[in-house]
Amino acid sequence: MIGLECHVQLDTYSKLFCSCPTKPETEEPNSACCEICLGMPGSKPVLNKKALDYALKVALALNCKINEKFFFSRKTYFYPDMSKNFQITQYEIPIGSQGFIELSSGKKICIRRVHLEEDPAALVHESGLLSSSYCLVNYNRSGIPLIEIVTEPDMASPQEAREFLDQLTMILSYLDVFDFENGTLKADCNLSVVGNERAEIKNVTGKRNVEKALEFEAKRQLELVKQGKQIVRETRGFDEKNLSTKSLRKKETEEDYGYIFEGDLVAFELTKKKIDAIRKSLPELHSDKAKRLAKEFGISEYDAKVISGSKFLSDLFEEFAKASSAKTANFFVSGVFVSIAHYENKEPEEMAPRLNVSQLKELLALFEQNRINEKALKEAAIAHITKGKNPLDFIKENCLFKEASSGEVEKIVEKVLSANPKAVADLKAGNEKSLNFLVGLAMRESKGKAEPREIKRIIEEKTK
Amino acid sequence: MKTQSVSEFAAQAKTGNIDLEENTHKILDKILKAENCNFFNSVSKDLALHQARELKAKIKAGKQVGRLFGVPVSVKDCICVKGVESRAGSKILEGYFPTFDATVVLKAKAEGAIIIGKTSQDEFGFGTFSTNTGLGFKAPRNPLDSERSCGGSSGGSAGITAFADFTHVSIAESTGGSIACPASFCGVAGFTPTYGLVSRFGLIDYANSLDKIGSMGKTVADSALLLETISGHDEKDSTSLNEKISFSPEASAKGMKIGVIKEFFGEGINPDVSKIAWASIKKLEKSGAKIREISLPLNAKYAIPAYYLIAMAESSTNLAKYCGMRYGAHENLSGSFNEYFSKVRSNNFGEEAKRRILLGTFARMSGFRDAYYLRAMKARTKLINEFKLAFKEFDVLVNPTMPVIAPKFFEIEKLSPIEQYAMDLCTVPSNIAGLPHISINAGFSQKMPVGIMLTAGHLKEQILFKVASVLEESQ
Repeated sequence: MIGLECHVQLDTYSKLFCSCPTKPETEEPNSACCEICLGMPGSKPVLNKKALDYALKVALALNCKINEKFFFSRKTYFYPDMSKNFQITQYEIPIGSQGFIELSSGKKICIRRVHLEEDPAALVHESGLLSSSYCLVNYNRSGIPLIEIVTEPDMASPQEAREFLDQLTMILSYLDVFDFENGTLKADCNLSVVGNERAEIKNVTGKRNVEKALEFEAKRQLELVKQGKQIVRETRGFDEKNLSTKSLRKKETEEDYGYIFEGDLVAFELTKKKIDAIRKSLPELHSDKAKRLAKEFGISEYDAKVISGSKFLSDLFEEFAKASSAKTANFFVSGVFVSIAHYENKEPEEMAPRLNVSQLKELLALFEQNRINEKALKEAAIAHITKGKNPLDFIKENCLFKEASSGEVEKIVEKVLSANPKAVADLKAGNEKSLNFLVGLAMRESKGKAEPREIKRIIEEKTK
Repeated sequence: MKTQSVSEFAAQAKTGNIDLEENTHKILDKILKAENCNFFNSVSKDLALHQARELKAKIKAGKQVGRLFGVPVSVKDCICVKGVESRAGSKILEGYFPTFDATVVLKAKAEGAIIIGKTSQDEFGFGTFSTNTGLGFKAPRNPLDSERSCGGSSGGSAGITAFADFTHVSIAESTGGSIACPASFCGVAGFTPTYGLVSRFGLIDYANSLDKIGSMGKTVADSALLLETISGHDEKDSTSLNEKISFSPEASAKGMKIGVIKEFFGEGINPDVSKIAWASIKKLEKSGAKIREISLPLNAKYAIPAYYLIAMAESSTNLAKYCGMRYGAHENLSGSFNEYFSKVRSNNFGEEAKRRILLGTFARMSGFRDAYYLRAMKARTKLINEFKLAFKEFDVLVNPTMPVIAPKFFEIEKLSPIEQYAMDLCTVPSNIAGLPHISINAGFSQKMPVGIMLTAGHLKEQILFKVASVLEESQ
């Protein structure tokens, strides 16, 4: 059984309780903090209304029940990254509770609560966590708004946990409340084998790491159970290098944070009107969008799902579809771009800064006009995304225009056909395998420059 | 000799008839001469003289404005003054020079106030006699008898207000009675406003849901004027109300329904104190007020325990931030962060602070939280409701501020912590309910002042002003 506590930084302009920027102009440590996020005696927090709105959006998009009356609490513990040695968070009544996310299998993962809290400062161990004899504190992070999303232990495998996080990030991208480039998503992962104690893997950063950490941990625990050994209740850490988890501390009882009400913030009351207004402001989420894209642009359901997997992708698709055609845009976005992102091990959003949309539109126009083939399109796109190359220049420099080569292809095909009469006869008799065989030969002959689809077209024409 | 009132002084100062630089010098000299009275934790000489010169320049330029123009104002140590060491009476805040002014200080400065220094107090406000001082601090001595306490926790503020033979007011702070008590012991007027009427931004917290910044002056009018200038909404304090008060000068008790809180005239109250308070009540009756007794059984019984549980739980979290990392006292860096934090806290908190951290932490631990902290919070609602009910019938409630006159230091030493806490019997109820109250002098017993305390409903400060003025005039 797996349960997650996800911490997501909200992409607001200023911090949760003061007006310091969440993204300072410089990387200089401690350049974006004030008496409030430093917890100086005498300072008082004032809630950033935007962060509250964002948290409400998330809670609503996660199908939560919104608590009209809620307040903040102090969670007290001593740690050097805490500016006040207490964190302002929510305890008794969170903003939202009892929500869910539906996986593609139709299974619902229940969400126990969604609440708003402040991020602590960042600790910097200059020569590594274990060997550093001192530690520096950067308060630029102190006070950045976080939402914590706590699930019930409803996930049955690391893969389900991964899908849950994929769905969650999709929702965050649609709500436009998370900065995929600079923001962080962390999770505390609880895993247990039914009938045994659970272990918690603290502070795992990113979806992939969560999946890896859970995979390792599931294997470890199952192995122990198989050997008839006992699983201890403990907190573990994830080592990103070895993709393994190791014990941090035994955990006999729940930590005691001595929660009390935060007296510097008043109890908040949301009106029904306000909640309705936020509900109405929610954008079309991915499942609705997938249906619309399939219907409106006539693309397959599968492609529509891939494209609507993030707001960024679907916006890109719609923009390209308007400039060229749905078919071309679909080919580029769900075929070319997504696989490049996948190859680079990045979320599509993270690739955004590398795209020059107007240059890409020119590239797609060439494809649309049938002046370049699929292969040229792909190569130009790769050069553009990975090397910052203008795709048009790339096409010109590598002579990838079709005009220059279509006559060549026809000659090659004729040569291949006359050299392989048996295969031609088989093809005419309806053997699909010989078509592939002939296409392969022609490809080899063209030294990989010709496009398979075009070769296929010409062969089919000539063997009718 | 009677000193000039704040408004008279400010008017005179604006004409240029008072040399503000000279006057400020004179006052600073007097304060320094009275150093052994321990009214101040720090004297802001440079700031005061700088302000005095600025104000003089304003007169020259014809831009003299402000209702506190040139008036010397002292500020309780727990209220931040930019660039002036602000320690809340604790060694752990040694070297903390705030980078900002508390909103009340900003407002007072904007009205032309000259900030003369930070007044002494119990460490973080944890006491009734200003004797629970931080390590290295000394308790202020009562100007009427140096063997006696000034009261607490705003002891320094009351002491200097009574001591001053010059125009002066003080910005004080009350959590459970820390303005009324010392005002009573020193014979001055101490005004505690409705919770939220005065911004707490810049206040070094004791217990956030109870802390109220208020004022002290030689007269009701002086303290009211200061309160008026520092009150009002502040977007930097989320608990600040959208209200500002303005007093109209008026002394009248005619037709007022005044409730005498029965429980605070009986057991545990010195008979002489009781008698003097009753004499004041009779004066109000003569001025046309309708006097009747009222019983507040819940408050008499539960206000003190509920108050101390809430105050200690909150203060134990407020004090968590002091660990020698960012400001205040530091120690040599060694050991783990836990060892270092413990060393800083062990060496720099006083005994009462440690007691309240331990008790307060205990009261909010899981397993005890329901029985102590949460139950106290529920009790508080009931206590407030008892008051609300009383204010359906009465305009003002009255009681002796303190059960005794200012005790001698050796007497205080003999009191156990519980006996000390019990001294707050009459002041805690109005404080836990966030109700405005004023303590003024009602007479003398053994040549020491006896204070009477008036409490009104939320935001009914004007009623207190009217009734207190009647008592003051009859003195």
